[in-house]
Amino acid sequence: MNPYVIMILISSLGLGTTLTFASSHWLLAWMGLEINTLAILPLMAQQHHPRAVEATTKYFLTQATAAAMILFASTTNAWIMGQWDINQMSHPITTTLVMTALALKIGLAPMHFWLPEVLQGLELTTGLILSTWQKLAPFALIIQIAPNVNHSLLMTLGLLSTFIGGWGGLNQTQLRKIMAYSSIAHLGWMIIVLQTMPTLTLLALITYIFMTTSTFLMLKLNQTTKITTLSSAWTKTPLAATLLSLTLLSLGGLPPLTGFMPKWLILQELTKQHLPLTATIIAISALLSLYFYLRLCYAMTLTISPSTNNSSAPWRLKNTQSTLLLATSTVLATSLLPLTPTTLAMLL
Amino acid sequence: MTYLMSLFLIGLIVGMVAVASNPAPYFAALGLVVSAGVGCGILAGHGGSFLSLILFLIYLGGMLVVFAYSAALAAEPYPEAWGGWSVIVYMLVYMTGVVVAGACMWGGWYEGFWVMESFKEFMVVRGDTSGAAFMYSFGGGMLVISAWVLLLTLFVVLELTRGLSRGTLRAV
Amino acid sequence: MTPTHFSFTTAFILGLMGLAFHRTHLLSALLCLEGMMLSLYIALSLWTLQLETTCYSTAPMLLLAFSACEASAGLALLVATARTHGTDHLKNLNLLQC
Repeated sequence: MNPYVIMILISSLGLGTTLTFASSHWLLAWMGLEINTLAILPLMAQQHHPRAVEATTKYFLTQATAAAMILFASTTNAWIMGQWDINQMSHPITTTLVMTALALKIGLAPMHFWLPEVLQGLELTTGLILSTWQKLAPFALIIQIAPNVNHSLLMTLGLLSTFIGGWGGLNQTQLRKIMAYSSIAHLGWMIIVLQTMPTLTLLALITYIFMTTSTFLMLKLNQTTKITTLSSAWTKTPLAATLLSLTLLSLGGLPPLTGFMPKWLILQELTKQHLPLTATIIAISALLSLYFYLRLCYAMTLTISPSTNNSSAPWRLKNTQSTLLLATSTVLATSLLPLTPTTLAMLL
Repeated sequence: MTYLMSLFLIGLIVGMVAVASNPAPYFAALGLVVSAGVGCGILAGHGGSFLSLILFLIYLGGMLVVFAYSAALAAEPYPEAWGGWSVIVYMLVYMTGVVVAGACMWGGWYEGFWVMESFKEFMVVRGDTSGAAFMYSFGGGMLVISAWVLLLTLFVVLELTRGLSRGTLRAV
Repeated sequence: MTPTHFSFTTAFILGLMGLAFHRTHLLSALLCLEGMMLSLYIALSLWTLQLETTCYSTAPMLLLAFSACEASAGLALLVATARTHGTDHLKNLNLLQC
């Protein structure tokens, strides 16, 4: 693709998210979302092979439907209440409709079916943009409307997402689909705590973005999209394979790593709000996710010598990719836990 | 006038039922044309002649020509009209749903005004016409954003439809 | 709820149901999206006409510009899908299923 066109598309991605961030009016927020959707379409279909085009079509259909639903809900709100402000939307029907549409946009559980298929058809860099940058604008809207949304709707969305994210990933061998289900599960954790403590949602989103960035870039460094090719990653870059397993465990939420921080704080907040049953259920559902992260770690690092290796060794080429962002995000994704008090003090 | 407006509103719903009941794209486009034409009537009846004109010119004139062209490209040999068995079942189901919903709302309906009185305020230009002028004078940022989006769409379309030599076998 | 409110709400929901439940052609799905946008245009314009707010009557025009962008992107995808998959049937978009 022409570099000028790429520049236009990337700057439009930035423009869309910035518009949605800056707007207090639903129409402008909708415009930002539309610009975001339009600008990423050519990036997704960059390779023009059938799977990329199919993923682009599916993404376009879901995102256009969700955007139309958002605008419909806000128009209905204007008809009923006469309000166009985002944080003043208070009619129960319209808030439910908007929350459903935003859940469709980011891929929360009952509306999640497009996400694994779309992510599977993309290359890793575009998949990284899709699962990090494209979530920011809908989350800005979700956090603003959260106080007025029905509580049990949010709880249902969150619990279903954590469970389906765990269950769906169990049977996968494709890494991008596993990452999609991990995204669904993490979004569920963010939605659960949305009404009681929105800053924790923000914290969970930030840490999720670090961990996902690190994982996607590491997969791109090794050029792996399946578990079988992942299992020979240690022959190419042994240190990166070790760090990737640490990052995956961080995604799973094991204690000395960054991923433990949001889960810990969310569980603490839920118990503070006298919701021990919900806390127990999502803690158990995290085990489901942990299973497939652990399986990836097993395939990657625990099958190396002295045990016999089943996969054939690939050809080793000299790597020319820039690893600055990878190094930064890996450090952030693995070793941020000691900074928890500082982070909390910054956010609260 | 009330009867005419009721007819237009019913026509809007019927047109959307015709689109939604999954006929072949030819006929769905026809249903959309009916809905858009009736929508022009609704807007004109409410006093928005300029908005109605925009809908007529841009929507019917521009978009549906493109859709008709694509429907001719992507058509099937035996298109399924509304007389087809599955389509007629869907139409009946949708119409029943609309009627039931309307019956549920029946008690709560109150008579909105149908036609704007033209002499409500003595204005030189109507509200919707001056809205266009407003967009060019005060709404500059929105105008710039819309223009940027149209330019962006040009690039998006060009990039998406590239790759003449790529892809699988095809007839065209 | 006025009859106008009821009718454009119904039109939007019908378009959404048609898009969500049964589509054989990608073009029909795009037509349903256009129908949803049409009902939104009518809703926005009627809102401004009822309240006689001049500054909001730009909103339907902006909406129309954006929906034109969406429609053209959808048609470009239709062309791309016809190239790669040979047809525009939605049931052929099954390469990525789990």
